[in-house]
Amino acid sequence: MKYASIKKEDLGKWLEHMKKKARVYVPKKKENQFIFRPLHDVSEVCLKYIPTILPPKKYYFPQKEKLLNFEIEPFKTSKAFKEFEEYILFAVHTCDIAGIQCMDIVFRETPEDPNYLNRKDKMTIIGIECLEYCDKYASCASMGNHEPRGGYDLMMIDIGEKFILHINSEKGEGLVRGVAYIKEASEAEMASLERVREAKKKVFKEEFAAPLPKIYEAFDKLFGSKVWDEVGKKCIACGNCTAVCPTCYCFDVYDDLDLSLDSGTRYRIWNSCQMDDFAKVVGGEDFRKGRDARQRHRYYRKFKYPVDKFNRYFCTGCGRCTRTCMSGISLIDTVNALATEMAWAEKAH
Amino acid sequence: MKKQSKPKVAFFDFSDCEGCQLQFANMGETLLEVMGLVDIVNFREIMSEAGEDYDVAFVEGSITTDNDVKRVKKIREKAKIVVALGACATIGGVNGMKNRAPLEVAKKRVYGDKADTVNTIKTMPVHEVVKVDYFINGCPVYIPEVVSVLKCILLGKPYVVPNYSVCVECKMNENVCRYEKDQECMGPVTRAGCNSWCVNNGNRCYGCRGLVDDPAANGAKDILAKYGLKLNDILNHFTLYNDSQGAKYDQAFK
Amino acid sequence: MININRELLLEKMKTSPYKPMKGKIIEARMLTEKEKFFKIELEDKIELGHEPGQFVMVSVFGFGEAPISVCSSPTDRGYFEMTVRAVGSLTNKLHTLGKGDVVGIRGPFGNGFPIDAMFGYDILIVAGGLGIVPLRSLIRYIMDNRSDFGKVDILLGCKTPQEFLFKEETKDWMKRFEIKLNCTVDRADPEWQGNVGLITTLIPGVDLNPTRTYAVVVGPPIMYKFVIVKLLEKKIPDHQLILDLERRMKCGLGKCGHCQIEGVYVCQKGPVFRYSELKKFKGECHEKAV
Repeated sequence: MKYASIKKEDLGKWLEHMKKKARVYVPKKKENQFIFRPLHDVSEVCLKYIPTILPPKKYYFPQKEKLLNFEIEPFKTSKAFKEFEEYILFAVHTCDIAGIQCMDIVFRETPEDPNYLNRKDKMTIIGIECLEYCDKYASCASMGNHEPRGGYDLMMIDIGEKFILHINSEKGEGLVRGVAYIKEASEAEMASLERVREAKKKVFKEEFAAPLPKIYEAFDKLFGSKVWDEVGKKCIACGNCTAVCPTCYCFDVYDDLDLSLDSGTRYRIWNSCQMDDFAKVVGGEDFRKGRDARQRHRYYRKFKYPVDKFNRYFCTGCGRCTRTCMSGISLIDTVNALATEMAWAEKAH
Repeated sequence: MKKQSKPKVAFFDFSDCEGCQLQFANMGETLLEVMGLVDIVNFREIMSEAGEDYDVAFVEGSITTDNDVKRVKKIREKAKIVVALGACATIGGVNGMKNRAPLEVAKKRVYGDKADTVNTIKTMPVHEVVKVDYFINGCPVYIPEVVSVLKCILLGKPYVVPNYSVCVECKMNENVCRYEKDQECMGPVTRAGCNSWCVNNGNRCYGCRGLVDDPAANGAKDILAKYGLKLNDILNHFTLYNDSQGAKYDQAFK
Repeated sequence: MININRELLLEKMKTSPYKPMKGKIIEARMLTEKEKFFKIELEDKIELGHEPGQFVMVSVFGFGEAPISVCSSPTDRGYFEMTVRAVGSLTNKLHTLGKGDVVGIRGPFGNGFPIDAMFGYDILIVAGGLGIVPLRSLIRYIMDNRSDFGKVDILLGCKTPQEFLFKEETKDWMKRFEIKLNCTVDRADPEWQGNVGLITTLIPGVDLNPTRTYAVVVGPPIMYKFVIVKLLEKKIPDHQLILDLERRMKCGLGKCGHCQIEGVYVCQKGPVFRYSELKKFKGECHEKAV
């Protein structure tokens, strides 16, 4: 079975079924925004939501994570993570799935990160395809992440009264096999899927002023652009943009002793390249001085460096950084300003 | 860790509400654990006797009289380690409102025709008078941070007060940004370390921990513009805790 | 060239690359007022198996972890050495430790000096201040494999004569006829009889055949800019100009992000770079000559 279908009214039943197998994390409403939380009551699940405040990365790369338990005298260390339990991320947007793929590449690169890999190993991803824009901040079409591009176990596509389920892995198949109300998709349902996808093409248009290779070129050429001064002037270094980014993974490491002062735990905690002391060494030299340089670094870590290293853009187009920026730094505007500058430079040539 | 003899700890207050010391008393079980590590010799809120021999002095409150100056200098002479406890001791705190007017005017306002009989000087955080080894910001202080600082004291290592904004911690806690709810908040310019305690509980950030070193006036103005807030609103909040840095940035923000 | 027991090492690291090995301090002494020297034996006496120029992450639990250069040669067996300046809370704590105390060790990390490529070449070593620490590893390696290299020149520079590290060893090196050594200080004291002036003043006096020479430079960022210019004037090819960079590091695994110069993780690609690589950076490399 490659495609299955489920009636919308059966979704609740299915969720309850999955809840018995694993911990299920679902998008829920929080005041006027959305967040992923453990499933308690199926009525809380929001299938129509704009990207959550934090991406689901908090489950596979938690804000604060134990790396190590230690005892000081005598010297003793033990791995802090135990076996994690199986968990299901439910109704993940395709942009966030792209984010998980990026993190995979980073943490699988030698030397591998066992903490991440352990969590990833226990993860099942059920995606949901967006058929319309969440809001004006998204740039998923330009990044090519508005459509499913793998990286999930199951993908849900809304075709009206039913969801089509694209089964993309054995893990995914395990969640639909033997479930009476999930049936192999009929020809008519597959035809509806075609129609829905066809209609979607009219909705999503590239948000950047130029195609990606051109954007890459602009980044390659415009390291010294004034655009970065402008962005730097606005930045208040709150670190919101990096915290909410599905592909930001910088961290700090610190020790927390128990009150006995005999033993403790070494943690890693999210850190941000936007912090004033991020690249400062104890001797005092700051190797990335200025908020302009630090913002530029963030952008280059999405549009340039990972492309060179992994042939992959680390912007997923989710729009969170723009949505969360209090002083109004917009990713689309910044990228477009670079593209425009590039176009002018080419014309002048 | 090699155990040394337990350091003797004493608490002192100056111009304050003793609320930060109350936080110690509120620690519950943790306080019992703490008592295993230090000897508290002077702590008015939880004990009647007062020892005069101590290693670590927790100083709560701001310095506001000539007598305070003398007294805190004496404490400094006796103590090996001085800890500034709470907003008043670290940044001046609410008491600092008198610094916003010339001293004579402030005295008149409060004491009327008795103004001449009152000895008072400008409000100062402790470090403006004596050297301070550890700072615990906040109004009141945040217990987990107090515990962290205590551990640092016992280990003999410095405690670095974060120099990034409360937003960093607030975002990790996945709070809905108050600006997204059209409510102002001092988080973007206030030093973290409190785990966004107030915002987690549905409150706004009041800026009690003082400003970060570089609060970026330009960016803050963009924020006001984006959310349609008035400059005076946010400037008023700056002055609530009278961060000694506040005056420095007043102009930049105006 | 070096016999490394990688299997054993990997076995130790396998549980988690964040888990430090036990390292026992078997010797510790102050070299100057600010720098302390440590000789460390790993648990089960396994060899660190490093290349000269690599670093380890040193832990003192409760105080954290920091990258520290190894200053012994892989040819020194059964232990390794490091020299630490007390600058932060971790390194200050390290200074209180002595023989018999235990620290945590992860690593070795990064890319060291390209000793295999340097085989058969003349070597010019330029060390400013603490730069001698990682270079000592290289110098000791060269001395133990002297016939593998051509002419060897060492230039040492410090702010004051009191700051010279490895004084006794340096005297030894100077005695050895096959290594030429030249020292300078920024500020002399009454006893100092050597050169006075920045280390750059020593470079013009070195007699070298640029295409046959590898120049290895280690020092503070500010020194690089000037030394690189002088060495390029001497026509040393970019790819034979070797530098060792200092950055903030938290993991050593190319993940935490602190050490990045543009797209490059210094802890993995570096800390040793050829100047031809540094030249490609667009603006974030402080050590690049202007």
